[in-house]
Amino acid sequence: MAVQIAPGHRNGLMLRNPVMTASGTFGYGIEYAPIVDIQRLGAIVCKGTTLEPREGNPQPRLAETTAGLLNSVGLQNIGVEAVIKEKSPIWAEWEVPVIVNIAGESVEEYALLATHLEGVAGVSGIEVNISCPNMSAGGMEFGSTPQMAARVTAAVCAATSLPVIVKLTPNVGNITEIASAVAEAGVHALSLINTLEGMVIDIKRRIPILGSITGGLSGPAIKPIAVAMVYKVAKVVNIPIIGCGGIVTASDALEFIMAGATAIQVGTAHFLNPNAALDILNGIEQFMEHEGVHDITEIVGAAHRCD
Amino acid sequence: MMQLIAPVISNKEVTPGMYLLWLHAPGLALQAEPGQFVMLRCGEGCEMLLRRPLSVHRAREGQIAFLFHKVGKGTEWLAQREEGDTLDLLGPLGNGFSVNPAAQHLLLIGGGMGIAPLVFLADKALERGADVTLLYGARAGECLYPEALLPSGINMVTITEDGLPGRSRSVVKKGRVTDITPQFFSQTDQVFACGPVPMYRTLVSQIKSLEKPLQVSLEIRMGCGVGVCYGCTIKTRLGLRQVCQDGPVFDINEIIWEEV
Repeated sequence: MAVQIAPGHRNGLMLRNPVMTASGTFGYGIEYAPIVDIQRLGAIVCKGTTLEPREGNPQPRLAETTAGLLNSVGLQNIGVEAVIKEKSPIWAEWEVPVIVNIAGESVEEYALLATHLEGVAGVSGIEVNISCPNMSAGGMEFGSTPQMAARVTAAVCAATSLPVIVKLTPNVGNITEIASAVAEAGVHALSLINTLEGMVIDIKRRIPILGSITGGLSGPAIKPIAVAMVYKVAKVVNIPIIGCGGIVTASDALEFIMAGATAIQVGTAHFLNPNAALDILNGIEQFMEHEGVHDITEIVGAAHRCD
Repeated sequence: MMQLIAPVISNKEVTPGMYLLWLHAPGLALQAEPGQFVMLRCGEGCEMLLRRPLSVHRAREGQIAFLFHKVGKGTEWLAQREEGDTLDLLGPLGNGFSVNPAAQHLLLIGGGMGIAPLVFLADKALERGADVTLLYGARAGECLYPEALLPSGINMVTITEDGLPGRSRSVVKKGRVTDITPQFFSQTDQVFACGPVPMYRTLVSQIKSLEKPLQVSLEIRMGCGVGVCYGCTIKTRLGLRQVCQDGPVFDINEIIWEEV
């Protein structure tokens, strides 16, 4: 079930299977290790990491919606230096590749983050978060125009020898323009989608539930939107796409793959079922066996054939 | 920490809106410590994406109990579970109450549903021969946890805001639990509290004279329960803490109460 998610990179980034964990939903991979056989995962994408430690947003940070989860965590994290010092030595012992998700407040910060991670044992790639809706400066702004997205991408690619993935936001008018600009800027793969901006109001108190008013919506509620975006982006880029957004079951994952994703990320589903990613992996294997699919790449983009 | 499917043994409404749920879960019952919690999956499919955190109310002979109030969609679904149904559990999670083995006199302060983890703490303390006093306050007599379910040997003082005893046979005072707490502080080695934030705020003002450790259990909306989502972060005097992973039990002085 091995998939290559960075064919344009000189060493590539081969995953033993296409099932990854999405940033912000699986910590540093260490937390769920007591109950999840993490070495079986395709890859782990760690919590979004910034140059300096971040406190994140005020409480409340979570609101459950119908088949969805709204969060405004605001990239609370320990900062890149602590990640390198405390987490990467653990990752270096693992078989499963770990990809570090980075977020900055300026183009220079993104490049600096990549520079910090250069040559760090245990780090197999970088996912550039230009799509966090919960940052007052930076974050999603960089993913909102093709020019800015391309500038960040080029700066990170120039600063690192690692494979680079850029994670796109759905909170834009036309995601294909952004995707094309990022692909042209030299990125090795795209992941999409990040959360959709959303809001919940407490009607008794007549105020927004989240401390920072709006947040990012994830979970099955956003899946059809994500599938459509993967499908559209797959039409305009020639680099691998990592599909993400509301994947809970193997059939969800297969929809993304057939829409054009080479790999997928499981996120919010972990809170419901910590073993969601591995259950999905097993389900994909069963589907392939049942349907006589020998190589997963046979079905990547399968849904485009009916155009 | 383990993830398991546990059969329901019984689920009874012990007081209007308050449910006592017993499950068969030997591994969990063995591991769980007072003050720890379990994340329970609620609802079918993906309707509710977040598990509900419930503190362990009791554990004995391979069984584990939760006490919960029907307050929303998740607990409403839980209230409908019956003998023979199964529940998906993740736990035990978090850090429980830290009891000094030398402490002989324990004072427990419970407000409303805050009694849930304290009964487990009392069970364990009484087992090892400690002396336990529970100060228990409720909004109204009719909301009181059934006295008959409490461990024998516990000293309990009950106080209700309406002054009514409900089905309690003990003398019930009128007021809030914090009205009576100060008079008990001097005769105790360690104090443990669980209840609403206003109760904790009053306790903070009372304990300035108390030179004894006081541990409190915090309740907050949680996502994962294991420290990956950063949904339950609070600011403490020692920096940012995840209630799920670093708590839910904290020293009362560690919390910045103005910010909670």
